[in-house]
Amino acid sequence: MNNYKLSRRGFLASGVALGALGLAAGRPTPVFAQQDSVLRLRLDGDNKILDPGYMIGGTEVEAQKQCLPFLAQYTRDGDTFGWEPTYYVTKLEQRTPTEIDFELTEGLVWSNGYGPLKASDVKYSYERMKGTDWGGYFDALDHVEVTGDRTGTIVLNKPFAPFFMVTLCHGPGAILCEKAVEDAGGKFTTSFPAVCGPYTYDSVPGQNATFTLNPEWTGPKPAYDKVVLNVISEVKAAELAFEAGEIDCTELGSDTLARYATQQPEGSEITTAGELQYMWMGMNTEHPKLQNKTVRQAIQHAIDVDSILAGAFSGTSAKSHGIVCPGLIGHRDANKSYSYDPAKAQQLMAESGESGLTLSLRTLNTQERMLTAQIIQANLAVIGITVEILPLDSGPFWEMGMESAGDTWKDLQLWTMRFAGTPDPYEAAQWFVSSQVGIWNWERWTDPEYDRLYDEGLAETDPAKRDEIYIRMQDIMEETGAYVWINHEPEVYIHDADIEISAAPSGELDYRRFKPA
Amino acid sequence: MIAYLLKRLGLSVAVICAVAIMLFGLLQLIPGDPVTIALGPRASPEAVQRYAEKMHLDEPVWMQFAIFARNVATGDLGVDVFNDRPVAAIIGERIGFTLVLIGTAMGWAVLLGMPLGCLAAIRPGSWLDRITGVLSVGTIAVPSFLVSIWALLIFSVNLRWLPAIGSGEPGDIADQATHLILPAFAVGLSWVGYLARMVRASMLEVMGETYIRSARAFGLTERKVVYGYALRVAILPTITLIGMGFGGLISAAVFAEIIFARPGLGKLIFDSVMARNFPVVQGAVIVATSLYIFVVLFADLLIAWLDPRVRDAL
Repeated sequence: MNNYKLSRRGFLASGVALGALGLAAGRPTPVFAQQDSVLRLRLDGDNKILDPGYMIGGTEVEAQKQCLPFLAQYTRDGDTFGWEPTYYVTKLEQRTPTEIDFELTEGLVWSNGYGPLKASDVKYSYERMKGTDWGGYFDALDHVEVTGDRTGTIVLNKPFAPFFMVTLCHGPGAILCEKAVEDAGGKFTTSFPAVCGPYTYDSVPGQNATFTLNPEWTGPKPAYDKVVLNVISEVKAAELAFEAGEIDCTELGSDTLARYATQQPEGSEITTAGELQYMWMGMNTEHPKLQNKTVRQAIQHAIDVDSILAGAFSGTSAKSHGIVCPGLIGHRDANKSYSYDPAKAQQLMAESGESGLTLSLRTLNTQERMLTAQIIQANLAVIGITVEILPLDSGPFWEMGMESAGDTWKDLQLWTMRFAGTPDPYEAAQWFVSSQVGIWNWERWTDPEYDRLYDEGLAETDPAKRDEIYIRMQDIMEETGAYVWINHEPEVYIHDADIEISAAPSGELDYRRFKPA
Repeated sequence: MIAYLLKRLGLSVAVICAVAIMLFGLLQLIPGDPVTIALGPRASPEAVQRYAEKMHLDEPVWMQFAIFARNVATGDLGVDVFNDRPVAAIIGERIGFTLVLIGTAMGWAVLLGMPLGCLAAIRPGSWLDRITGVLSVGTIAVPSFLVSIWALLIFSVNLRWLPAIGSGEPGDIADQATHLILPAFAVGLSWVGYLARMVRASMLEVMGETYIRSARAFGLTERKVVYGYALRVAILPTITLIGMGFGGLISAAVFAEIIFARPGLGKLIFDSVMARNFPVVQGAVIVATSLYIFVVLFADLLIAWLDPRVRDAL
């Protein structure tokens, strides 16, 4: 055997040899399309906690929907959202305003040898949720009565109309296997201790999550044998991956949606999941510069929302007329007390007796928000109001109206804000009751009628009456002069035209309900 | 050489300590409540309390720093805020992807850039020299994220020759290599220019030295003079350039990993910043910094070994 010793001379000679080498070009291998029974989607980040009690939300909910039982699921009829029982139940019925009876389907079993799905699992799952991070969704739950192996009654502590849509259909409504979770120590993170659904779940951190057919599943077989979700954090990268044919469906950003309006990729289709986001410009009714309601009303009339929608959102979002989103009970399709009218705005400013007004407008420093702020700045200049735009990172932005986080709330004047929620008007309305002043009611108004209607809306089960209640609540908000409604941004997906996708109103995809078009 | 090694090691440790202190300070300076930033504005009080306790945010700042310093010194990079996985394990899963990407990018850049630089230096002013000059400056000037996007648009979206996202099937080397082509091309392209310019300049300088004239005077062939003598000396600054440029390679890799959705240290840092998962951000930045310092140290030691005059310079 020869002894090899690396000398300086030898190293340099090797370097020279390396430098003298030419470029050996490799021949690329074509990328072939996936099998028909494989669905390829995007995951915007690793699923961190699959446990419904401690999840972050979003894609974790998507995973739960494939692997865990739910009593109810969303339906969509045109632009209107509703709910229906899932195939996990043969009965789901509101017997009284506070009692919901259920009967689980026979023959459904948990994986890993944990036996049949039982009513006691429902009791365990829902009562457990009350002490978790998502316990707010179960405030109305008193307890679950188990009346048989597969039957029981959900007992509420007060009538709570949104319980089906907000709690049972959404991620917190997932049912866990009591024994499996207890065996896992009472909580779990990145893998399910037991599944009872059409798919099993596996993941490679940073790379993908894979759903494969659950051999123990006795329910309806999903259309796709395997669903592979590639971790793609950036929506732009996902859009390019779709155009490259590597994924079958992805969410779209507003600018790309606008581009696709003129040039959509061949063989693709666009589906709007829902528009559960509501954006507005708020005014602090307690600030000395904005205490005069006539000034606030002048501002309402001065802002051209149509220009904002065209300039900042490329015409891809719906004009807003309140906090209740399209497709929900209580949605308004027109303003009651103001419209874009610069002449009226100037008249109101003159009536107010104010002149030379300078206001600050705080906004998140994202592209759409900054453009929105600039258009508002230009609009208000027309009526003699000078606006100083203060762009902020999310940290200081999200606490600027909270009394517990310092004194910024005292100097808060104008700001743009966007909230999102679940498909029931109560969730949007809850942030503006009197008790939220200094927390999320940054406009800082109180109204006894609004507070009363909020409680009535929770208890009312008649959709027509609920519609009246929430419309009146938004009338009250608008009449304070503290709001300029801007838009409802949609959750939009582009997908292969030969696939019919299924998405919750808030945008979570339900792969087991995807099917060939 | 031993004394030089010890001095350089000491300096490297001091730099890592300084970076860790600065990192802690910068994270303290981020405006806003860290719990609100991490968990979002509507987190439940229980989640807020749990997060604050886990991150020691309920302790005074000096105590937080002491805990942070102790953990870093003992190699404990903490745990992921959301699922309690050790940060070191998460980084361990990702760092290989980044090293492979950087290694491949630098590999092809060396294979192309060095011969180009040599050829340009042998005949300065020739058409080859001019073309090499234009190409070099051109590739240096274009940011790697733009190269990534163009490469993706051309080779994945339009031609569909190469995959756009991911790192390939685990265990399938050919598939993984295919997934590596575009990111490595994007990260390495500017280095072709850097290396060609550096080798050309060094070669021209060396070719003017008296010992090269002497070699020619002794009747050695031009090939022997260029490859046997000049290139051996001219390669030394190139090693320094590669070492010092490693930080830039990591930055380029971050963009490439995000655009091509490749798992790696850069994408991990990006995703963790987006999720406000600060223990992972801290751990990954410290590891990336240490990696950079290690590579610079290695390059310095290599130069010192190759050129004994350098050892006395520190």
